[in-house]
Amino acid sequence: MSVVQAQPAPLAEEAPVSLWRDAWYRLKRNRLAIFGLFVIALLAFTALFGPYLTPYDFLGQDLEARNQAPSLAHLFGTDDLGRDVFSRVVYGTRTAFLVAVVVTTIALAIGTTLGAIAGFFGNPFDRVIMWLTDVTMSVPNLLLVVVINASLKTPIAQWMEARYLETLNPFYRETVWIDFLLVFGSMALISWPPYARLVRAQVLSIRSRPYITAAQALGLSNRIILMRYVVPNALGPLIVAVSAGLGTAMVLESAFSFLGVGVNPPTPSWGNMISDGLRVWQHYPHLLAAPAAVLGLASVAFSFLGDGLNDALNPRGSK
Amino acid sequence: MSAKTENRLLDVKGLTIEIETRRGPAVVVDGIDLHVDKGETLGVVGESGCGKSLTMLSLMRLLPNKIRVTQGEAHFDGRDLQKMSNRELRKVRGGDIGFVFQDPMTSLNPVMRIGDQLAEPLIYHRGMSRREARTRATELLRLVGIPGPEERIQAYPHELSGGMRQRVMIAIGLACEPKLLIADEPTTALDVTIQAQIVDLVKGLREKLGMSVVWITHDLALIAGLVDRVVVLYAGTIVEDAPVDELYANPRHPYTRGLLASIPKLSDAPASRLNSIGGTPPEPGRRPEGCPFAPRCPLAMDVCRSHVPKLEPVSAAGSHRAACFAVEKAREAA
Amino acid sequence: MLRYVAMRFAIWIPSVLLVMMAVYALAFYGAGDPIKLIFLRAPGDVAYNPERIEAIRESAGLNKPFIEQFGYYVWNLIQGDFGNSLTSGRSVWAMVKAAAPVSFKLALCAIVLTALVAIPLGMIAALNQNRRLDYIILGSALFLWAIPAYVAGPLLMVGLIVLLPGVNVPYGWGGVFDIRIILPLIVLAFQPIALIIRQTRAAVIEVLSEDFVRTARAKGVPEIVVAIKHILRPVLTPVVTQLGLIMITIVNGAIFVELVFGLPGLGRLTVKALTNSDYPVILAITLIGSFLVMISNLLVDILYPLLDPRAVDAKRSR
Repeated sequence: MSVVQAQPAPLAEEAPVSLWRDAWYRLKRNRLAIFGLFVIALLAFTALFGPYLTPYDFLGQDLEARNQAPSLAHLFGTDDLGRDVFSRVVYGTRTAFLVAVVVTTIALAIGTTLGAIAGFFGNPFDRVIMWLTDVTMSVPNLLLVVVINASLKTPIAQWMEARYLETLNPFYRETVWIDFLLVFGSMALISWPPYARLVRAQVLSIRSRPYITAAQALGLSNRIILMRYVVPNALGPLIVAVSAGLGTAMVLESAFSFLGVGVNPPTPSWGNMISDGLRVWQHYPHLLAAPAAVLGLASVAFSFLGDGLNDALNPRGSK
Repeated sequence: MSAKTENRLLDVKGLTIEIETRRGPAVVVDGIDLHVDKGETLGVVGESGCGKSLTMLSLMRLLPNKIRVTQGEAHFDGRDLQKMSNRELRKVRGGDIGFVFQDPMTSLNPVMRIGDQLAEPLIYHRGMSRREARTRATELLRLVGIPGPEERIQAYPHELSGGMRQRVMIAIGLACEPKLLIADEPTTALDVTIQAQIVDLVKGLREKLGMSVVWITHDLALIAGLVDRVVVLYAGTIVEDAPVDELYANPRHPYTRGLLASIPKLSDAPASRLNSIGGTPPEPGRRPEGCPFAPRCPLAMDVCRSHVPKLEPVSAAGSHRAACFAVEKAREAA
Repeated sequence: MLRYVAMRFAIWIPSVLLVMMAVYALAFYGAGDPIKLIFLRAPGDVAYNPERIEAIRESAGLNKPFIEQFGYYVWNLIQGDFGNSLTSGRSVWAMVKAAAPVSFKLALCAIVLTALVAIPLGMIAALNQNRRLDYIILGSALFLWAIPAYVAGPLLMVGLIVLLPGVNVPYGWGGVFDIRIILPLIVLAFQPIALIIRQTRAAVIEVLSEDFVRTARAKGVPEIVVAIKHILRPVLTPVVTQLGLIMITIVNGAIFVELVFGLPGLGRLTVKALTNSDYPVILAITLIGSFLVMISNLLVDILYPLLDPRAVDAKRSR
């Protein structure tokens, strides 16, 4: 670390440093966070373009080449149907990112709305919303969401089937979307409380701070106060929470797939690959090791970045 | 001269303290010399941030993380505190030197009983048993004027008032009958009426125990009746050092004069404005060239902005010293 | 005190009822026909005889509206009847009673392990703040936090076999003092350890900047005593408050750990019930999980004043 600190400070002149530049400066010095950022960027790139770059189709079976150990032709080997594990892991990245981004967006929307309502309007909204938050957070959430997922799957599939027979619209045949829809919905349902709490706390504390009163006393409009004072101050903790949330969602999705209630085969997901690999790991460890290692790497990267962001954006309350 | 050195309890020479900032190290205490004689009470006066607390904390090597002593020595009873081993230093802390901190709300451990906190120095320095320490702690509480010490010893800090807590702090500082008591703005967090009580308490105890006292404050008026000598600090340098009566009667440095003038007097006209010194002290690392006080000084000359004045005797006896070109010039003219 | 505990229960009941109603509703509207499920394995093809099914449904009161059925379920629950498993027909209470000790023992051991490992490590990290040791400990904690149990478990198993060939795969349950508990215990404790390391480190750093630590040093108290008496004591308060969160992590983690290592506990029961849509079992487990978390939080509230004397007065004056 001493090497990093020995560098001359880049702030030669005394211009007031903006919050974001300051945060970026602190983040840059955190090597773990930069490592996380790099890995996430790589994975995001893979999720966007990877499926077009892989040498094999993720569904392409080659029964001549089943259960092969890693080689130059198949970087991570092949599975019991002769599918290229590397291509499947790459496609699984897309699944993981899709779930993580969509779930976090929905959860953020729900959480921010409820938190803002609770913070701005106070009781009775506050009391009800906070009670819901507490209830959701105090139940072992994995259990709840697995139950939701497991029990809604059949009825939705039946409904889709019925719609298809009624309309013959091929859209209703696409059952892959049921998995995604369920995963999105149920995960968002347990992921919103942290955002709600955060936004409520921010709104409450910012509303009562002297500089808001001062701004009001200066006759600034509510919109300007909101944009210039409230939002920038609330954004930091929210960014930290989102970064952590993305990682959690990714892990949660694979947990579902592992338990057989997430994204189902043949769509590759890290979780269902791990689950499949677990059955044969004593003979073909690469089938387990490849998806497990990638999932671990992704999760660790988000964890490092989230922690770095926390230190960078909340310098005083850094944990 | 040798008699004088023998009488020295604390002798600080060329002490320099730096704080680590993002722009590199910044000097907060700039090579100051300071001494306390046996039985003497020294007042250290200055605005907040002038380095008076850091100076005293550095003696016991209690500086916060990013602040450290870069130069100088501090001899206590003939031994250099800066060079002591941790084990030796531990014996001095609380044993030979007692400390009373500024804020009694935060300086006492909230989850420990008063009696246990008071017993700690007795156990670790005097090797007392818990029971002996407890008896002694009760005596100490009585000594600092806490009513009902037998019950109070069981109390937690939050159950006492601010003034009572500061009395407990003083009792902790005095527990091992130290040769030197360092009181770091012990009255700042207290009500005005309590402040006077605390000053009187220390005054009485000093005579009873025959110890030296260093009293750090920004309030010149408060310590007038307590201290023998006053050192005035400005931006990490000593600007004036004089016996207390001499300082009040004949302040030499413009900064000291400013400080004294800013104390409101009953004789002032009721509607008259309070005197204050214009401007603010320089931030660490941004001190001007020359005399640090020059930008705020009504008497500043060209030389003040290019050269740093040295602390020179301004009285015949040499006991009154000031660091100011204007004072020197006035004396030369006389 | 007793009144306080009773009040906490009173607050807990509506929230757990809400959750159970949600699960019950999922079972009611979402799952397949419970009668069919019951008789799927029964002889005589009852499951495919609509008339008999209707008859059974009526006699079991399963044709009543949702609220009535849920009320009936809760009423039975109050009397200690958790119902019967849809698949095995055994009493849910008996199934839970058989499985719970395994999970509870494992959870308890995991909590003890967490406290023994994480608090000292967090403290060491904080005392070496921003030095190499701190980065190593903190980095490891972040790493442990990020690795899910179903990844860590198998990978550790692979590692064990590779390192010590000839060792049997640790699979199954033999009690707390069985050697097979070691691996699942470690995996289960990963996340709680990570959580407590970070919590302890943050708390210690905060306490280190407190004036009273400086006072203790100024008194000449030895560093080791400063660390234990003046730093650790105040740090325990915020760390203990994490017990509820730890309980959630452990309950979640147990599902995977028990599955991977073949332990006959509540976690495995959960997975089995889920795959079979065995709702009476799922409901019972939801209740137990929520109860555990509530009890942990209650315990925290009771312990709090013992750790922080200031809280006693705050409560009294309320």
